[in-house]
Amino acid sequence: MSLFFIVALPFLGALLPGVMNAAGRSSCAGVTFTVSLSAFVGLLTNLPAILRGEVVKARIAWMPELGLDATFMLDGLGFFFAFLILGIGLLIIAYGRHYLSRDDNMGEFFTYLLLFQGAMVGIVLSDNILLLLVFWELTSLSSFLLIGYWKHLPEGRQGARMALTVTGMGGLAMIGGMLILGQIVGSYDLSVILQNRDLIQADPLYLPALILILLGCFTKSAQFPFHFWLPHAMAAPTPVSAYLHSATMVKAGIFLMARMWPALAGTTEWFVIVTSAGLITMVIGAVIALFKHDLKALLAFSTVSQLGLITMLLGTGTAFGAMAAMFHILNHATFKAALFMSAGIVDHEAHTRDIRRLGGLRHLMPVTFTIATIGALSIAGIPFLNGFLSKEMMLEEMTRTVMFDSPLLVPVLATIGSLFSAAYCFRFVGHTFLGPVRDDYPSKPHDPNPGMWMPPAILAVLVVVIGTAPFLAEPFVKLVTASVLGIEAEVPKSYIKIWHGLVPALYLSVIALLGGLVLMLIFNPLLRLWDAMPRPEAKTIFDAIVAASVSAARALTFTLHNGSFTRYAMIGAIAILAAGYHAWITGSVGTPTRAVQAAGPVPIAGWAMLVAASLGLVLLHRNRFLSLIFIGIVGLMVSIGFVYLSAPDLAMTQFTVEVVTIILLLLALNFLPNRTPVESTTLRRVRDASVAVASGLATFALAYHYLLRDAVGTPISEFHLANSYKGGGGTNVVNVILVDFRGFDTYGEIIVLGIAALLIFALTETLLRGPVRARLLNRVPDQPRAGDMHPMMMVVVTRVLMPVVLMVGFYIFLRGHNEPGGGFIAGLIVSIAVVMQYMASGFSWATARLRYPYHGIIGAGVLIAGFTGIGSWFVAKPFLTSDFTYVRIPPFEKFELATAALFDLGVFLAVVGAVMLSLESFSRLARRASSQDSEHPMDIDPSREEGALAPDGTKPEAG
Amino acid sequence: MGADLNIILPEIILSIFAMATLVGGAYLGQDRLARPILWATCAVMLIIAFMVVQGDTTRVAFGGMFVDDGFSRFAKGLVLVSGAAILLMSEGYMARRDLLRFEYPLLVALASVGMMMMVSAGDLMALYMGLELQSLALYVVASLRRDSVISTEAGLKYFVLGALSSGLLLFGSSLVYGFAGTTMFSGIITTLDEGHLNLGLLIGLVLVISGLAFKVSAVPFHMWTPDVYQGSPTPVTAFFATAPKVAAMALFARVLHDAFGNAISDWSQVIAVLSVLSMFLGAVAAIGQTNIKRLMAYSSIAHMGYALMGLAAGTAFGVQAMLIYMAIYVTMNVGTFAFILMMERDGSPVVEISALNGYAKYEPGKALAMLLLLFSLAGVPPLVGFFGKFYVLRAAYEGGLAWLAVAGVIASVIGAFYYLRIVYFMYFGDDAEEPLTDGKSPVLWAFLMVPAAVMLIGVINLFGIEGAAQAAAATLVN
Repeated sequence: MSLFFIVALPFLGALLPGVMNAAGRSSCAGVTFTVSLSAFVGLLTNLPAILRGEVVKARIAWMPELGLDATFMLDGLGFFFAFLILGIGLLIIAYGRHYLSRDDNMGEFFTYLLLFQGAMVGIVLSDNILLLLVFWELTSLSSFLLIGYWKHLPEGRQGARMALTVTGMGGLAMIGGMLILGQIVGSYDLSVILQNRDLIQADPLYLPALILILLGCFTKSAQFPFHFWLPHAMAAPTPVSAYLHSATMVKAGIFLMARMWPALAGTTEWFVIVTSAGLITMVIGAVIALFKHDLKALLAFSTVSQLGLITMLLGTGTAFGAMAAMFHILNHATFKAALFMSAGIVDHEAHTRDIRRLGGLRHLMPVTFTIATIGALSIAGIPFLNGFLSKEMMLEEMTRTVMFDSPLLVPVLATIGSLFSAAYCFRFVGHTFLGPVRDDYPSKPHDPNPGMWMPPAILAVLVVVIGTAPFLAEPFVKLVTASVLGIEAEVPKSYIKIWHGLVPALYLSVIALLGGLVLMLIFNPLLRLWDAMPRPEAKTIFDAIVAASVSAARALTFTLHNGSFTRYAMIGAIAILAAGYHAWITGSVGTPTRAVQAAGPVPIAGWAMLVAASLGLVLLHRNRFLSLIFIGIVGLMVSIGFVYLSAPDLAMTQFTVEVVTIILLLLALNFLPNRTPVESTTLRRVRDASVAVASGLATFALAYHYLLRDAVGTPISEFHLANSYKGGGGTNVVNVILVDFRGFDTYGEIIVLGIAALLIFALTETLLRGPVRARLLNRVPDQPRAGDMHPMMMVVVTRVLMPVVLMVGFYIFLRGHNEPGGGFIAGLIVSIAVVMQYMASGFSWATARLRYPYHGIIGAGVLIAGFTGIGSWFVAKPFLTSDFTYVRIPPFEKFELATAALFDLGVFLAVVGAVMLSLESFSRLARRASSQDSEHPMDIDPSREEGALAPDGTKPEAG
Repeated sequence: MGADLNIILPEIILSIFAMATLVGGAYLGQDRLARPILWATCAVMLIIAFMVVQGDTTRVAFGGMFVDDGFSRFAKGLVLVSGAAILLMSEGYMARRDLLRFEYPLLVALASVGMMMMVSAGDLMALYMGLELQSLALYVVASLRRDSVISTEAGLKYFVLGALSSGLLLFGSSLVYGFAGTTMFSGIITTLDEGHLNLGLLIGLVLVISGLAFKVSAVPFHMWTPDVYQGSPTPVTAFFATAPKVAAMALFARVLHDAFGNAISDWSQVIAVLSVLSMFLGAVAAIGQTNIKRLMAYSSIAHMGYALMGLAAGTAFGVQAMLIYMAIYVTMNVGTFAFILMMERDGSPVVEISALNGYAKYEPGKALAMLLLLFSLAGVPPLVGFFGKFYVLRAAYEGGLAWLAVAGVIASVIGAFYYLRIVYFMYFGDDAEEPLTDGKSPVLWAFLMVPAAVMLIGVINLFGIEGAAQAAAATLVN
């Protein structure tokens, strides 16, 4: 049968049990069995080819772009594992049919089981490592569902979580390893990778790849230090434990190590990592297993230990080791699955798995007793059972293994492991089945129906057959070994036989068996010692590690993301500094093309002022009024700087903008406390200061660097200088840019300005209608208000200044096109003149005298500018094309008339309107707070005849 | 001019639609019209997406400032479709919480216009225009829930930090302009000679990268992300997690390849550092989270790290990997957020992860869908998320960044922990908590189930997205 079909069958068949669920438990199990059987038969049809030593292949392109093809291959190794998976699967299905109770949803169970089976078969048949990864994680996923099948058991949850966490993460790590491997070789096909041993092992990334792949294998096969999850996954139903945790899934890691053996094995790294992990696992697992009271826990640790043994054999990197490993896999699959099923039967019948509550079952359950005893003695290494043979081979291999320059280390540890293995097997049999019959079993046990004991019995028969007639298994084992070794090594010539003569391995075996018996005799004192001994519990450690990493992660997160804006800004600033520094050291720095100019006393003085004001601002910023003054100084110095650098337009704009913003800030300060409270510690201020200074220095360095070098290409200003008069009719380049070259921008800007002002108005309106109004009305200023809110001197001065300033504004506006000035600056100047009236005489007084609403002024400005632009359409020119001409009206000199001036008028009006509207809006808030309206320009009525105003604000009647 | 306008027709239609509807909505009924406006916006966005992906040639408008090529069409399709999907998902949630303002769909539409502009930018100024149009709309939607302090604070933080990053970007752009003499990408790339950039361009470049890193929320410019994700209404969070990320990532690719494609060695390492930091911080910080929206914020930070990994490779394959990654990422996020939108108890939204305890018992179907999505987010094979991750890992490896690929694998192992934790809660958590009840929204249900199914069915051929992404990447890198 095609390999595709073998892999696909369980997946497709997984749909059936769910469908058949309603048809009854037997048909549900029956259909599952049929599906598995078909796949099994399909596999067997390939046996002749395998026996001929051929490799069966099948390939479909899947995602060639990614190097992922659905490629399958079947060789001895793959056949061996697929045989185990499907064969034991059949037994498990039969067993599960009888094991599950009426309340369990059988359709769900068998669906998961088939999914799992398909994934496992996929792993062992994949020829593409990406495809293998896919199936690998699918087993994690489906096993997660299977382990969690009995959701009501709390330990099932814990177990499932741990299993998922450990194996899932291991699988992800393996992705990395596989990726590296595929890249080294240039192909993701296993058959190619396996032939490139030298290339792979010479690559500098061999070690990372090896570690990542082994992480996947070790987690899956529960090798030290990841051995702890397996026993905790035992809360799953027994068929699951038997299938996943002894026969198949946990062997996936072993399988992969065997698969990768030709490519990865044989190096010191491989030997040290794999052998020591296997050795440690074997000993630890066996020791713990001895002291477990739960039958399944005992078997679980036994599995861990046995897997360690196999890992260790693969780690040696010798052909004989590989052969022993393959043989032991076969044996372990037979006896361990039989044992698990026996334990399940005991649990099922006696309703307990606690060894301390069992004993004497030999008389009640003779069949189960026989099966379990054969299995257990096989692990212990009793001759004529298959476990003896592979254990002998293992010990033989170990006596030849030298680790850390010590020829004794490995054999001694391996013997200790075997010794404890024998001991727990004796305990398993002795404490469960032997001894007197008790009368306090939770349920009266008896042998179950044949449907349950047949599957383990078949396996037990195999145990004996292989054990007594190893020559039957030998060709098969050698075939498998040959495909493990690939082209890298020859299959060992030695035969698998029961009697090798008096070799060291035999002595070690005998020592282990006798030692095991001795341990059994002194078991009770040993147990007390064990219980009294403080020992690290792997699960506790795992939980502690998880808890510690979670709290570490939390600590890190809350340090970085504590919600504080300053911290965010600081991290951002540091990152930018680092990025800039990186650029600075990696970029090529050209030689300066300009010389540093000498600085005269005036610029230095200005600079000193600027620095002093900035420093003052930083140091005294808690006094908000003072900081406003410092800000004013900074703005002023910048304006002067523009003057000094021959940019009068900028200077004028900056200057007027400064005035307006300071007024705005003053209005805002009105609502704020006088001082900023101290909240930061000195340490934090020092830290912030250092970041700030570093940023400042970086900016300085950058500016210094740029100022000493010419920019690339000609500056754009040259174009403007050349065309300003010719094209725009003005000699003031800045103004011509604003109203002509970039007229469209300016048009957009005044619209935005207008919208912004309208928005400010709308917002304050909404605010004043809302709850804020009440707060404003009830607000008590924290400082006494000035007694003389509208001083006479100020009123008089502003009145006098008003026409003068308006005149200046008009002048600035007119000269704008050719000399510094223009609509924008003029607008700001006029605004200041008007604002002064507000400041002097109060809001309501000024508003009452307002003839045109500011909204209208903004609108008029935008419209004028717009129509000016449209005007050019009438002469078939694009929008905003400017034109100018010279006219002469007799009493005057010849003067220029430009459409740009009209446009500038629009700008002027929009600026006046926008500035005034926003300032007015802000001051409306203030007005609400102190609702002292007056209808006089000043608090003291100059026309009074006597005294001050009456308290009600009206002028007392004269005489 | 006419030809130019023809090229940007999709953008024009969407902007005019948004502005006209805004005015119409304001005068004709405001929030009462919110629902029809939302549906109309979805329809328009989908139609435009359809219009956009029809094109098959590379066309430039406005003297090269606007580029319509396969790359931009791929990104635009993704942006528009995911934006429309999020809008559809928002409707029920927003309406029930009295958040459904008629401006909301229009702001999303305007943000989408900005994004379309971003991915088509052929010039630093066009880039900035698109970016700001997008950002301004996003600042507003982030603080849509005006009466909530946390939402307002989130919006404000986003705005201030966003303004800072825009400033950086501008500063960088002006430096680039100063030393390249042009703002056109096609011009900048010709001024770069082989070997190292001069300092001016390099500093300009790193500042531009920093500014863009903020937009894709790459570490260390990610600080706004958790706060904004947590503070915004959930549909807005979903939007943040999808379309803008695609647009910003595409813009990133465009700037790096179109303008600085001759200096790959200069930016590759910077991007790699951003990538590795994002992956690790995203993975580690998400572990401690109890709020699922905050968790998704860190998750998206980590995912941006992976997408950046593709970019760091500096190859056409890397860009292709990034595009595929983003497409998969967006699909997963749509599904996950549909699930989060359904998390509620007695009509009020729940965002605590612990509320999912025992969820699989009473909602097996949705739990299974979420399981698929979470496994996919973690990058577990064979779900589609794995292919995305594999693409970028391979791109990084082939681009000579083996260390980055290994780091990415390690980060994904760490990251798997918190995704699986949610699965654990759903399937094995104590069922002590009161079960969640959802509003039985068929729309959300569909938006959960379809992406979950895509995660599974997409394994077959990724819905042919590979070829499209390859063609798109080929138009960008050549």
